[in-house]
Amino acid sequence: MTELTRVLETSGSAETNPFEAMMTRFDAAAKRLDLDPGLYQLLRTPDRELVVAIPVGMDDGSLRVFMGCRVQHNLSRGPCKGGIRFAPDVTLDEVRALAAWMTWKCAVVNLPFGGAKGGVRCDPSKLSPGELERIARRYTASILDLLGPDRDVPAPDLGTGEQTMAWVMDTYSMHVRHTETAVVTGKPVVLGGSRGRREATGRGVVLLAERALEWLGIPSKGCRVAVQGSGNVGGVAASLFHERGWTVVGMSDVTGSLLDPEGLPVPEVLEHLRRKRTLEGFPSGARGSNADLLEADCDVLVPAALENQITSANAGRIRARVLVEGANGPTTAKADEILEAKGALVVPDILANAGGVTVSYFEWVQDRAGYFWEESIVNERMERILLESAEAVRATAARHQTSLRVGAYLLAVERVAENTRLRGVYA
Amino acid sequence: MTPEPPSLPLPQPPSPLAAGPRPFEEAARLFDAAAERLNLEPGLATVLRVPDREMRVAIPVVRDDKRLEVCDGWRVQHNSARGPCKGGIRFAADLTLDQVRTLAFWMTWKCAVVNLPFGGAAGGVACDARAMSAAEIERVTRRYTASILDLLGPERDIPGPDLHTDESVMGWVMDTYSMHVRHTETGIVTGKPPSLGGSIGRRRGTGRGLVIVAKEALAAAGRTAQGLRVAIQGAGAVGGVAAEQFHEEGFPVVAISDYLGGLHRADGLDVPSVRAWQRERGSLAGYPEADAISNVDLLECECDLLVPAATENQIRTENAPRVKASLVVEGANSPTTPDAEAALSARGVLVVPDLVANAGGVTASYFEWVQNRTGYAWDETTVFERLARMLREAFQEVWGVSARERISLREAAMLVAVDRVASCERLRGIYA
Repeated sequence: MTELTRVLETSGSAETNPFEAMMTRFDAAAKRLDLDPGLYQLLRTPDRELVVAIPVGMDDGSLRVFMGCRVQHNLSRGPCKGGIRFAPDVTLDEVRALAAWMTWKCAVVNLPFGGAKGGVRCDPSKLSPGELERIARRYTASILDLLGPDRDVPAPDLGTGEQTMAWVMDTYSMHVRHTETAVVTGKPVVLGGSRGRREATGRGVVLLAERALEWLGIPSKGCRVAVQGSGNVGGVAASLFHERGWTVVGMSDVTGSLLDPEGLPVPEVLEHLRRKRTLEGFPSGARGSNADLLEADCDVLVPAALENQITSANAGRIRARVLVEGANGPTTAKADEILEAKGALVVPDILANAGGVTVSYFEWVQDRAGYFWEESIVNERMERILLESAEAVRATAARHQTSLRVGAYLLAVERVAENTRLRGVYA
Repeated sequence: MTPEPPSLPLPQPPSPLAAGPRPFEEAARLFDAAAERLNLEPGLATVLRVPDREMRVAIPVVRDDKRLEVCDGWRVQHNSARGPCKGGIRFAADLTLDQVRTLAFWMTWKCAVVNLPFGGAAGGVACDARAMSAAEIERVTRRYTASILDLLGPERDIPGPDLHTDESVMGWVMDTYSMHVRHTETGIVTGKPPSLGGSIGRRRGTGRGLVIVAKEALAAAGRTAQGLRVAIQGAGAVGGVAAEQFHEEGFPVVAISDYLGGLHRADGLDVPSVRAWQRERGSLAGYPEADAISNVDLLECECDLLVPAATENQIRTENAPRVKASLVVEGANSPTTPDAEAALSARGVLVVPDLVANAGGVTASYFEWVQNRTGYAWDETTVFERLARMLREAFQEVWGVSARERISLREAAMLVAVDRVASCERLRGIYA
């Protein structure tokens, strides 16, 4: 039970601790911007953190208490936005870091949102749908005062999906006595979800990979790309790369990688994954480890699986000239330095995978309007936002003679700082 | 909330309840014992033990020299099964979440023992109020209130004063809340100045309550109150008021102290004159009609009733054997360590625990809330009559359980409290 009252404490080494990792980048930007110390402290500190006990009647009749939290990092640009994760090892530090991350990500792409994140410490693989539903509903009811289309708008994350979001929407709606679809994004399309949202992050990754090559003057035709991860981000990205005539030389899932220097038949690989749920047994290509994929001979590498994949230990062996971070935090700060020294261009996560939150934003806009866009409009508007942001990041980085990552943080921190200055300090 | 803002500077505890490395876990031991005795199912015990909600907020505050500083603030709602949460707000530089959590935890049980329709909460800001101007304290208070506003409300969570927060702070909380909800809402906070909806008699609630409970304990133990000598550590809102009340009711008050030291007179002090001296000089020191006594010696002086009403951990293993009183009535929170209590009971000394002995404060705060809700203010007689009735009932309940279960009054108080909250939880069931 001690576990319960001191929920959620620090994890990971200095290099891989999520909060420290994010803060290293933030600090680098803050230093260059020469922020006032009070403002620096304010931007660094989460605005509000709520920890709640979630009592749940289990299927076997017992009563269990799960711990959940919601962190709102910064409210100065608008309602907070950020996912809810259900995972057995959620820590408050991690949720804090992810909330701050959302602040910067939303600011980079100039959405009118602040950052938030939430989580429940539970293992979805060991819970029945009924138990998961009760957790989601009670969690929603317990943090309800913080939520609202104009306050804080959750979304899916690890261990949660469209069904979870539907429960959150329903619980919130029942409490406020009217259907309020805009309180959460990532809903099924029939409940006010947006067309194109599922593919959005992967699509954004591909758009930014193309733009990065353009900057470097490398023709994208026949470009070789390796994609780590084959879920919502990696799978969609691989398939779009393939459609656009790129050579996908590597893909991976939890069992390892599948490599073919001549190019994988992406649609067949994805079909195989859909049927068998593993890359195991795919007839062509060579099986390898995850390291083999990261270090494969390619022009573009898309780490779209987990955090801390490229560290000081393996960064020296990365051969790609461009990295587009589909996942959050796949590259550690130390690895960044090594890659930069080698001349590799890293398109940082807060820009590279912002397609997801951008279309979540569109979902919120459509729900507020009650008017729904065709998929082509969604894609077109997302493309415009991402590419404009990419150019703004590049210009900022060039002006400060720094990496795209620090450039992205500079742009984001400056935008949030500006809003905070203009609004002033209440009371 | 029980120790109301001292009218005089009392020694400031370094960090109440922070004695051990994990004060919450220490406090929870008493709960665990009660849960075991009640045979609570493990799930329910966990629900009752773990705080319902804990909120941390960043409080940006512009100092008078225009610097921007960011303080941490918290509000913990431990349990709301019995009604809105109730608990103090403290401003202290070394405040931690664990302390706030522990305070909220105690408030749940204290409210339940006296059968108030409240759950427990506590809150505070990690700031050094003594080093801040009134304007700075006002800004901290207003921004803190605005940041936790979603949790507050007369039907949700009602703060009260605690360390370094006083009636004016409560006035600012009330005003900020009222401005946000667009109407004056006095029932949002208790401990307000009387002109803003504060209750008559609230300032004296803890001290008056303590005397009521002490007399009830004497009667229950079959002791005559006539001529019993009282020694009181502390001369603030609790100790000072209790001294006056004991004196008025014919108990010789043989010793009383403040943070500088104490006064002793074997045949009883002239309490009204001592209090007048204290009001004029700001301290007891130098009062002519008594001998000086240290705070440590006061605890060991010849007396029948000892009232530790200053800070926690005053009666410890070292000095417990030298306590001469046969009845200890805890005006402060946790003035007796668990080991010291065991030593005292082994010698037949009866300890009336803080949960009951100083519950007059929260009970009077409850009355303030009731009066605010109805918009009808009671007279002083009504307040004290109702206070006496509620405290007597609470004490009798605890006394009966203690006798039936052969446990200490403290364990009995916890048992009564946990049983009450558990029965509410069971009846309400689990939402969603």
